[in-house]
Amino acid sequence: MQHKRTPMQNFLLLYLPLFVMLLFLLFPFYWTFVTSIKPEAELYGSVVTYWPHNLTFESYRKLFVDFNFLKPMGNSFVVAIITTLITLTVSMLASYSFSRFRFAGRKAFMVLFLTNNMFPTVLLLIPLYAIMRSMGLLYTPASLVLSYATFTIPFSVWLLNGFINDLPLSLEEAAMVDGCNRAQAFTRIIFPVLVPCLVATGVYIFMTSWNEYTFAVMFTNERNRTIPVALKNLIGQLGVQWDLLTAGGIITIIPVCIMFFFAQKRLVEGLTAGAVKG
Amino acid sequence: MQRKKTNIWPYLLITPAVLIIIAVVLVPALNAILMSFQSYDLRRPSSIGFVGLSNYIDVLQDKLFWASLWRTILWVVFGVGFQFVFGFILANFLNKSFRGRGVVRAVSLIPWVTPGVLIGLMWRWIYDGSYGVLNDLLMKVGLIHEPIAFLAQESTVMPSVILTIIWQGIPFFALMLLAGLQGVPGELYEAADIDGATGFQKLFRITIPAIKNTIFVTTLLRIIWVANSVDVIFNMTGGGPAYASQTLSVYVFNKANALNLGYSSTMSLLLTFLLLLVAIPYLKNMFANQEA
Amino acid sequence: MKRKKVLALTLALAMAVTSFAGCAKQPAASSSAAGSQAAGGEPVTITHWYWADSSDYSAKMKEIVEDFNKSNKSNITVKAEEYPWDGGAYSENLFNAVMGGGGPDTAAWKLTATPLFTANNLLANLDDYVAKWEKKDDIDQNIYNIMKQAGGSDKLYVMPWNIQVLYVYYRPSIFKKAGVEVPKTYEEFLEAIKKTTMDTNGDGKTDVYGFGMRGAKGGQEPWGSFIYGRGGSFENLTSPESVQGMQDFIDLYKNGYVPPTATQDGFNEIIANFKSGKTAMTIHHTGSSKGMVETFGDDVAAFPFPKGKGQWTSMGDTENVIFEASKNKDAAFEWVSYLAAGEGQEKWCKITGNVPVSKTVQELPEFKDDKFMKASIEGQSYAGIIPIKDTTTEWISTIWPNTVASALSGKESAADAMKTLQEGLYGKK
Repeated sequence: MQHKRTPMQNFLLLYLPLFVMLLFLLFPFYWTFVTSIKPEAELYGSVVTYWPHNLTFESYRKLFVDFNFLKPMGNSFVVAIITTLITLTVSMLASYSFSRFRFAGRKAFMVLFLTNNMFPTVLLLIPLYAIMRSMGLLYTPASLVLSYATFTIPFSVWLLNGFINDLPLSLEEAAMVDGCNRAQAFTRIIFPVLVPCLVATGVYIFMTSWNEYTFAVMFTNERNRTIPVALKNLIGQLGVQWDLLTAGGIITIIPVCIMFFFAQKRLVEGLTAGAVKG
Repeated sequence: MQRKKTNIWPYLLITPAVLIIIAVVLVPALNAILMSFQSYDLRRPSSIGFVGLSNYIDVLQDKLFWASLWRTILWVVFGVGFQFVFGFILANFLNKSFRGRGVVRAVSLIPWVTPGVLIGLMWRWIYDGSYGVLNDLLMKVGLIHEPIAFLAQESTVMPSVILTIIWQGIPFFALMLLAGLQGVPGELYEAADIDGATGFQKLFRITIPAIKNTIFVTTLLRIIWVANSVDVIFNMTGGGPAYASQTLSVYVFNKANALNLGYSSTMSLLLTFLLLLVAIPYLKNMFANQEA
Repeated sequence: MKRKKVLALTLALAMAVTSFAGCAKQPAASSSAAGSQAAGGEPVTITHWYWADSSDYSAKMKEIVEDFNKSNKSNITVKAEEYPWDGGAYSENLFNAVMGGGGPDTAAWKLTATPLFTANNLLANLDDYVAKWEKKDDIDQNIYNIMKQAGGSDKLYVMPWNIQVLYVYYRPSIFKKAGVEVPKTYEEFLEAIKKTTMDTNGDGKTDVYGFGMRGAKGGQEPWGSFIYGRGGSFENLTSPESVQGMQDFIDLYKNGYVPPTATQDGFNEIIANFKSGKTAMTIHHTGSSKGMVETFGDDVAAFPFPKGKGQWTSMGDTENVIFEASKNKDAAFEWVSYLAAGEGQEKWCKITGNVPVSKTVQELPEFKDDKFMKASIEGQSYAGIIPIKDTTTEWISTIWPNTVASALSGKESAADAMKTLQEGLYGKK
C-alpha cells in the first residue's frame, strides 16, 4: 500500500471518505452534546438550532453536585476493568487450547460456547438472581463481574480463537524447534503478536460490561449502581430529563475515549513490534 | 503437529472458562428449556404444568412469530451486512498512517461507547417527526418538503432502526478487523507491489485471505449479537407501530416482560436453533480449514 | 506459567466459597434479623424501593425518608433505594427480585402489577393493620375499594398513597383565535378539536393541531375517555358504542386533526407538542402542570373531560405495598402509613402535584385553590381505572399501542381493532 499518491488522490481516496464516515459516526454524539447544553425551551422550539442560542452547563453541575455522578462512574469502572482482566485471562487460555490442540470434545465445547450467547438473558433473570443470592453475591460488584464474565467469555474465546488461527503456525514451530517448550513459545512468540487482538477483545469486554443494563439493575443497589442504571433513573413517567441524560452520556463517553486513545497505540504493535525474527 | 495421545493440557486450559460458565448459566438454561415444555405463565402460577409440545405448536401457528422472524432476517442481513462493509472500510483507513490517527481511532469508537440506554433515545430524538434534526437537515438540503414521521410509519420504521444498529456496530468491526490486520505480514504487500498488483488485487488476494478467520468469527458473533439485541429497538419504538419493528428478540422480550415465560422460552429456543443453523456453514468451513 | 497456577488457585477458591455459600441460605437480603416487634427500643431497618419521575422528586423522597427516620418513635430506619421506572419495567424488576427470594420490605407500587404479585402470594395482607390504624378514616372508603378490586378479592394488599386524574389542558389564546368556547359536551369537544386545527401562516400546511393524541404506550388512558364519550365501556369493547368511540379516534388522526406522529407519540411528545404550541389541547394530569405554567403563564388552563353519552377519565395511581417475606411488617406498616396520611403524604403531593388520598391533606389551601387540582377533583367522581386482569400489563404495553397504531394507519377497521383489544384483555371466547 505504499504507492506514492498525489495529495489530490490522497484526499479523494482517504480523507474524504473517512471524513464522511466520521460525520455519520460522530453526528449523534455532537447532537447529544448540543442537547445537553440547550435550555429546554430551545429543545422543543419551532426552529432546530445547531448551536444553542443560550448555553447552559447547569445539567453538568447538577450531575456532579446533586447526583454525585462520579460514584456510578467509579462503580462501572471497577466492574468493567475487573471483568476485562478476568475474561481476557480465562479466554486467552481457552482460545489457545482450542486453536492449537486437537482433543476430544473440542468442537462440542466450542459450539456450546457459541450457544451460550444465543439465549436471551431476560429468561435467565429469576434463576440467576436466586443463584447470586445464594452465593451471597447479590448487591456486590462481584455479582456483575461474574455475570458479565459468563456472557463475555464465550465471545472472547471465539474472537481470540479467530485471531490465533490467523497467526501462522510456523512462528511457534520455529521456536519449539529452537528448544522452547510450549509455554515459552506462547509467552515469547504468540503473546506479543497477540497484543493488538487482546486489546481489541479487551475493548469488547469492557464495552459490554460498561453498557449492560438488565443485570445491573437487578444485581446492584444504590451503593454500587453502575452508569446505565443511573442514566435510566433519569427517565421517569414524566418523560426524559434530556439535559441530565445527555450530559450523563457525554460524561461517560469521554473518559472511555481517552482510555482508548492510549490503548490504541498497542494496536500497531504485534508483528511489526519485532516478535518476528525470521 | 499434534500428538495423538491424550493430553490434559487442553482440558486444563479451558477449565476456568467452562467452570465460570457452568456455575452461572447451567441451571438457568436448563430451566429455560424445561419451561418451553410447560404452560409457564407467572401471571397464572396455579396452571403451571407440563404441556408437551403445545407451546411449540402455538408458536408455529402464531402469525406474529413469523412476521417477527422475517423482520429479524431483514434486521440481521442489512444490519450486519452494512456494519461489516463500513467497518471493513474504516479499519483499512485506520490502518494507514496519517496525522491524528490516534484521535480518529479513539473517536470512531464513540457509537460503541455510548450507553445503550442513550442510543435508542438519542436516535428517537434525531428521527423525531416534529423537532428532529434529521428532518430539518433533509428539508434544508431540499430532499423533502415536509417532515417525515420516521418512527411513526410502518413503511419507514424498519429502515430507521436498521440505520441505527449499523451506526452502532461499525466500530466493532472496525476495531476487530483493524486488530486482525496487524497480523498480516508486511512482506506480502511488498512482494505484491513488486509484481505490480492493483489495490483491489491486493485486497482480495492478500488482505482478505490473511484475516479470513477473523472475518468469519466476527461476522458470526455479530450475527448472533444483533439477532438477540433488544435495547435499540425497544428504546426507539417498543416494536411498534403496529408491530412493524418487532423482531423476534423484541417479541421474546415483550412476552418475557409479560411473564409468559413458557411461550417466550419456546420462541427463544427456536431462535437459538435457527441461529445454530446459520452457524453451521461457518463452523464446517472453520473446522474443515483447521483440519487441513 | 505462573499465571496459570494462580488462576487455578483463584478458581478453586471461588468454587469453594460458592459451595459454602450455597449451603448457608441467607435470610432475605433486605430485612435485618428477626424480631417483628418493632415497638420499644429494638432498632429495625427496612428497605424501601421506589422510582422517581424527576430529579426533584428523587431529592424529595430522600428528604421524606430522612424525616421519618428522625421522627418515628419505634426506632425504625428506612433505607430507600431508587430504581428506574424504565417504562413500567420497574414492576417486573421488582417481581424478579421478590421471586428470586430477595427484594425489599416495602415498595412504591402501581395497581396494574397487583394480580401478578397476589397470584404468587408475594404481598402481605393489610386488612388487620388498617383496621387497627387510627387514621384509617382519613382515606375514603371508595379508594380502599379500588385497591381491593385490583387484587381480585376482598382483601386489601395495597396501601393508598396518591392519585392523579386526567383532564384536558388547553390554550385559551388558541381557543380565542379559533372562536371556540370551553366544550361542555363530548360532541363540542370533537368540534373544538376540528376548529382549533389551523393553518396560521397560510402556507397550506397545518401549524396547530387541535389535539395532541397519545398513540404510544400509555395512550389507553385518554383513549378510554373517547370510548365512554360515545357510551361504550371497557367491559364491552366490541359494542357499537365502543367501536364508534374508536372510530372518532381514528377519524381525528385520518383527517389530520392530530399530529401525524401520533402513532408513536408518548408522554414526552404530547407534552412537547403542547408546550411548543403545536397542539391546542392535550390530556394529562397535574404532574405536568408546573412545567406548563412555567412555559405559558396564564395561557394554559384545564377542563375535565366532557360528558357525552357516558363519561370517564383515567385515574392514575401510586401506592405502596408490604411484601409477605418482610420480617418487619409492623415497622413496614408504620412507614407506608406515614406516606399515606402523615407528613409524607403532604410533602410528596406538594411536589408532585398529585391528588392526595388523605382528606386532611386535600383540605389544605394549596390543594383546594389550584385550578388544575380543581379539574382533577371535579373529575374524581367519574374517574376509573382500566379493568385490572392478569392480562392488563401486557395489554397496556404491547397490545393496545400496536393495535391502535394499525387502526390509525387504516390497516385494520375500528371494529376489528376493538375485537383484538377485547380478546387481549379478556381472552378469546
